[in-house]
Amino acid sequence: MKYRITVFSTAVRILGSAVLLGLAGPGQAASSDIPDLDGLWSRPTCQGGGFGGCTVLREDDARLTERARAYQAVIDEMAQPKYDCAPMPIPHMWTDPYSFKIEQLEDRVLIYYGKDDVVRTIWLEGHGHPDPAINEFFYFGHADGHYEDGALVVVTDKFTFDPQGLNADFRIPSSTQKQLTERFSIDNGNLKLEVSTVDAFFLKEPWEFTVYSSPVQELDANWTCELDGARRSLRFETSKYPDDPDPARINY
Amino acid sequence: MNTSKKLILVLVAAAALVSQVFAHHSTSGIYHEDQELELTGTVQEWAFINPHPYLTITAPDATGVMRDWDISYGGAAVVHLQRQGYTKETLALGEAITVKGHPARKEGVYGLLMEGGGNIPTRADGTPVVKGGSMF
Repeated sequence: MKYRITVFSTAVRILGSAVLLGLAGPGQAASSDIPDLDGLWSRPTCQGGGFGGCTVLREDDARLTERARAYQAVIDEMAQPKYDCAPMPIPHMWTDPYSFKIEQLEDRVLIYYGKDDVVRTIWLEGHGHPDPAINEFFYFGHADGHYEDGALVVVTDKFTFDPQGLNADFRIPSSTQKQLTERFSIDNGNLKLEVSTVDAFFLKEPWEFTVYSSPVQELDANWTCELDGARRSLRFETSKYPDDPDPARINY
Repeated sequence: MNTSKKLILVLVAAAALVSQVFAHHSTSGIYHEDQELELTGTVQEWAFINPHPYLTITAPDATGVMRDWDISYGGAAVVHLQRQGYTKETLALGEAITVKGHPARKEGVYGLLMEGGGNIPTRADGTPVVKGGSMF
């Protein structure tokens, strides 16, 4: 029995030393690199507490390419997927005023958004998660993450083409070239999120913003999008295209 | 103007009234944000649903003809209106209320955008239907 205890305690010491020395497994971070992001967070706000101003990609934003402007001119409001309850894309989702939840697991991080019933999975590197195939694309992309210097760094790509992919209010699309880099860290007890988005077809330069969230006690209530609520404002739109369906749209 | 058909169209300085429900929700193409309209009518529908709750009231247009008006809270969702005190039971069918906001641009449809969600409808006795306050 004494021998077993000695072996066990030695193993514990070796393991502890490995952690202290930062000798975690391949692709895995030392514990000091891992911020405690787990919990419920308030709607993201800009530095100083203002809502939205620092985050918005404007309709006539100088960073938009000519191709983006051409799409804006062609894809009118009537054809936007949001009227069919399609969720806000990322990073637009971060610019909307809803709380969210982060759950840190050993091999992945889950983000539950208070809007659109969206759950994103961040696949942590070093756990054998397969990469998507070359021909696989996803509405919210494929997100790989790792911890470094006290932050969770997430790179998301493999997005489907999305007519509202960069901004759902101003008809700014995103292409399969869209790539997001998000850096989550803790700053004075608040969650700091730095977002940089590139898209070779629709952005001349990276679209970057930083937002902050504070801890909250509860998540916003369940979302549940209803088509009547999503499509209501369509009756006040005027279509550019005379062969469009009725604003009440198609009965599925 | 007949007070029982209280319909006041007031043109005001754009700078004073132009607002956005959310910083990035574009409603300027849909509503005359440089105009303000006050309507008194009766509740036909109160849909407390996501993504955007809406209210329909029957009230007279500028010529006195009764119309169904679609009252919009813009980009607000259920959770935002809840913070102002709204619930599914806040408004009862047939109840008389007064609302104020920006009229829709499109002809042949009748709509009103309540400014920034900050305009709170009032009941017949003049009391606001909810306590109001920040949506956030």
